[in-house]
Amino acid sequence: MTGASALLPALLALPLIGAILVMLLPKEEPGLARGVSLGVSIATLALSLVILGLYDTKIASMQMVFDKEWIPGLGARFKLGIDGISIFMVLLTTFLMPIILLSSYKAVTSKVREFCALLLILEVGMLGAFLALDLFLFYVFWEIMLIPMYLLIGIWGGQKRIYASIKFVIYTMAGSLLMLVAIFYLYAQYGSVTGEYTLELSLLNRLVLPRDVQMYCFAAFALAFAIKVPLFPLHTWLPDAHVQAPTAGSVVLAGVLLKFGIYGFLRFAMPLFPYGAAELAPYMAYLAAAGIVYGAFVAFAQSDVKKLVAYSSVSHLGFCMIGIFAMNTQGIEGSIYAMISHGLTTSGLFLAIGVVYERRHTREMSEYGGIWKQMPVFAGLFLICMLGSVGLPGLSGFVGEFLTIFGMFISGGTAGEPSFWAEFMPHPMLLGAVATSGVIFGAIYLLYMFQKMMFGPLDNPKNKELKDVSWREIAVFTPLVIGIFAMGLFPKPFLQTMDPTVDQFVTRFEAKLAEPDGPAHIMGQAAVAPTPEPAQVEPHAGHNHAPGEAAH
Amino acid sequence: MSSTSIGLVLLGAPLMAFFVALVVFRKNHLAAMMTVLLSGAATCASAVFLLATKGGTPAEQASRAWIHAGGTSIEFGILLDGKTLIMGTVVSVITLCVQVYSLSYMSHDPGRGRFFAFLALFEWAMLSFVYSPSLMQTFVFWELVGLSSFFLIGFWYRKPSAIAAAKKAFIMTRIGDVGLFIGLILLFQTAHTLDIQTLNTMSVATGNFDSGRIELITLLLFVGIVGKSAQFPLHTWLPDAMEGPTPVSALLHSATMVAAGVFLFARFHPLFMQAELTLTVVLCVATFTAVLSSTMAMVASDMKRVFAYSSISQLGFMLMGLGAGSLFAGYFHLTTHAIFKALLFLCAGAFIHEYGTNDTVAIGRAGARKLRVITLGLIIGGGALAGFPLLAGFFSKELIIHSLHDKPLFLAGAYLASFMTAYYTFRVIFLVVFPNQDSAVQVEEPPADSHDDHHSSSLPLHAPILLLTVGAIAVGWFGDSIASVLGLVAYHPSLPEMAPAIGVALGGILIAWFDFGRKSAPQTGFISKLAPLHTLFKNGWYLDVIYKKLFVGAAQAVAGLLFGTENHVLDKASDMLGQGTLTIGETTGKAQSGRLPLYIGLAALCFSGAIIALGLEMMR
Repeated sequence: MTGASALLPALLALPLIGAILVMLLPKEEPGLARGVSLGVSIATLALSLVILGLYDTKIASMQMVFDKEWIPGLGARFKLGIDGISIFMVLLTTFLMPIILLSSYKAVTSKVREFCALLLILEVGMLGAFLALDLFLFYVFWEIMLIPMYLLIGIWGGQKRIYASIKFVIYTMAGSLLMLVAIFYLYAQYGSVTGEYTLELSLLNRLVLPRDVQMYCFAAFALAFAIKVPLFPLHTWLPDAHVQAPTAGSVVLAGVLLKFGIYGFLRFAMPLFPYGAAELAPYMAYLAAAGIVYGAFVAFAQSDVKKLVAYSSVSHLGFCMIGIFAMNTQGIEGSIYAMISHGLTTSGLFLAIGVVYERRHTREMSEYGGIWKQMPVFAGLFLICMLGSVGLPGLSGFVGEFLTIFGMFISGGTAGEPSFWAEFMPHPMLLGAVATSGVIFGAIYLLYMFQKMMFGPLDNPKNKELKDVSWREIAVFTPLVIGIFAMGLFPKPFLQTMDPTVDQFVTRFEAKLAEPDGPAHIMGQAAVAPTPEPAQVEPHAGHNHAPGEAAH
Repeated sequence: MSSTSIGLVLLGAPLMAFFVALVVFRKNHLAAMMTVLLSGAATCASAVFLLATKGGTPAEQASRAWIHAGGTSIEFGILLDGKTLIMGTVVSVITLCVQVYSLSYMSHDPGRGRFFAFLALFEWAMLSFVYSPSLMQTFVFWELVGLSSFFLIGFWYRKPSAIAAAKKAFIMTRIGDVGLFIGLILLFQTAHTLDIQTLNTMSVATGNFDSGRIELITLLLFVGIVGKSAQFPLHTWLPDAMEGPTPVSALLHSATMVAAGVFLFARFHPLFMQAELTLTVVLCVATFTAVLSSTMAMVASDMKRVFAYSSISQLGFMLMGLGAGSLFAGYFHLTTHAIFKALLFLCAGAFIHEYGTNDTVAIGRAGARKLRVITLGLIIGGGALAGFPLLAGFFSKELIIHSLHDKPLFLAGAYLASFMTAYYTFRVIFLVVFPNQDSAVQVEEPPADSHDDHHSSSLPLHAPILLLTVGAIAVGWFGDSIASVLGLVAYHPSLPEMAPAIGVALGGILIAWFDFGRKSAPQTGFISKLAPLHTLFKNGWYLDVIYKKLFVGAAQAVAGLLFGTENHVLDKASDMLGQGTLTIGETTGKAQSGRLPLYIGLAALCFSGAIIALGLEMMR
């Protein structure tokens, strides 16, 4: 597939060129900037659909790989590829971007050109980070995403936007710096074992670090990703960022950016340091379960509807974390499914809040009430997104919740089939049960929100003038609603696409986990454990001269 | 036409009708109603046809994979066996009756198009639940049935009490659903399948399941049943659900939806039979619920609430029969109850509609007995509910009582509950038929004056009532055919065996006559002489108050506490961290020419990271 390999760089180039083009447009014509950026984002979506069409769902490994030398001195390569996990993330990004641009037609009126260009640059960053197969390249894209997001909150945000944007950046940066340290440590180790210095993921994945080091390195990666998820108690940046960000920013944040946390665990932290992941898995899972309940309760205490939805993300992403640390195909597929579903439903909720905010300029739930009467079509759309988020069967949220919880329940193995994960994950049933309780809480706070805003008597005179959604707003919601139904009713094609990749992920994880402890080495080339002459091996261990060297 | 394609009509028609009514005919109520009615008739016809052709033949199943993940496969489809055919027919017949009735009942409501659409949604969800071949499908539609119940209770969405009731129903049943959900997962984990027939076959053969596991799983399934079938302690949502339009109460909250829990029990009867402990729990809960809710029904003044409490109690009866091991007794009572209780609600609705009040005394005084057909329906339906000999409820209740014959404690509970059932039912009947204008009884809710449009004589209102009245008389005689469709043999208790229950029922009726029926009856009931008990019953044993204080209050307190922690501990900590970084940045920044606090702060972090890395290296 030589022709196809150009598709991924093209996918990055398209929004980048679009961003430059938008900046070149005359400043006086915001409509033109909106039109062009929307067109570019739709073209990007179309290209990603072409990629989906060419994607072979039977192959587990990376497809359409694009590999070019990039920084030879460092050993960093410009390597992109797509597999059964990242293809969904890419599609989610390209799918949401036109919706976001279309939704801000009325909400953003100042510096429109810059706004559109930043969103397109953000898209480049997000797509790049999902596609990158080189650690350094990933890190670069990861940081690229930060800047537009920082500006989106800081320029177009609410009253406390400066505080929120700085908090967002510091949190994320602080986490990712330790990850950078771990990346370079890994780089140095690989170099000293093989004599070859590289940051390419597939090569680094073959390196097995000593078990204690794996724990530190995993912790460093996990910090960066856990902040992004966000994992309780590292979530406090999220409500501020969400509340202060403009609707478009909240949608990107909830829809795509949070997914980098889970994606990062799956793509980097867990395959690179399986033993570290296994040792720390119970803590991650307990924190996730705590976050599910905690997020739900705190959401229930909110009077600001945007904050309520922000805390609901803490709760929902807890399910995703539970899923990946169940370490079986069901749990991980459920986690990916829940991520996509969360991307659709929570985006829908933020957009719905945006719709009423544009009309009434308040996010206090008590200001609303009885809106159904005034805005029946809006009420229906809002309701579908809300119920999708609640996890009602038949809508997208249910499948993910079911599979993650199910995955956690069986992570110790099923009757007669014990699992390798049983020794690392104590009390999976307890965790599963706690997560399940989140299903009730989710229903409570979201119904409470919907009831306060939409039902009851229409007694606030300011709400009597409200107009129902326009055709543009219906167009914004329609793809989301279709997606929510499609994922809820027909999960099979989605799951089939991710099946081979996730299966392979679990198998490889198990294989690498089974590697013997000892000095850093390449997989399958460990010093044979009962060494006849331990005296000869010992002194070298400190310098990491593993036998892998001979291979190069 | 094969039976599976008829099944497709059966399940597809209501769903189509829902979408057409809601989307296409959003503005045209008449078209929406007709669509739904036609689909209801088609569904009903196919259900009856299937029952007629397939009843008694071996089970037939068709399904396709819905989820396939890592060796886990979950199928959706249709299962035609005795249980599904009977229940499916009951559901579609009663749905059709209620739809026809609603043509008249809802004819002046501005939202009637939406009402009919949601009735169709309910029918689809309920039938998909009933005909489900796998527990997963059962669960999915169990939830969707709950959703349609939410919409229909909250149909008058501008009425705060209706919305509160809708939310309460949704959340309380969902508490039960979590039990069912965990039970489902554990069952899957144990048996590697969710196929209902396979599970039941496996459970009968010994050694397939660990007995402790079975107890746990069945208990969890029972938690779900408690929620859906409104058993103690999760029963409090059902009386409140009466806030919805009366046709909804008739269809969902008495005849069909609340029976879903009982149906699930019947569905997994072989599995439950393996769990001794669970069966004891079931019997205790069911008997207690039957007695508890009967006490509340004895003093309720709202006619709909009397019948709502009665539904809770009768569901308890069904579970008692099933829990005692008699599948036929429980299932038979499920069928007869669906008919006579739907009838009673439709009658109550007609009275309420006519006189603009829910208060039984007020309805009686307003001259309700002049509505002959409806009064006849009330008497026949009430007689069936009370277990009056030879009416529908008599036969099924006899069987339940017979099934308890070797369990004296539960038997006593059953007698007590049947006595009260006869009493409160005939209390309503006598108050309507023999109103005493001079009695000192306070009318709690006086009739509304503005209600002047009389259409209670119209055909759509009467036809379903007449049909169900005939059903309430006749269905009791079809025990043998129902048993044969289920693949069982009906037991016929002898007259001496039946005598105590007949005596209890007649005793209840007699005391009701003494209290309410005879000339110069006080019409206050003997309970009111025991004031504390009366207050206790009247307030539903204060359970709502306790729950509100205990759970809602606690949840709000915890939420407030956690939010406080969030603001004052977690967020504060991160702010202080950030502030500290910035301060360091600013101090060090002053040493430089420019102020780049952020940059410096990050550099400081980077530095600390490097130190940690160095430490790591040195530890090696």
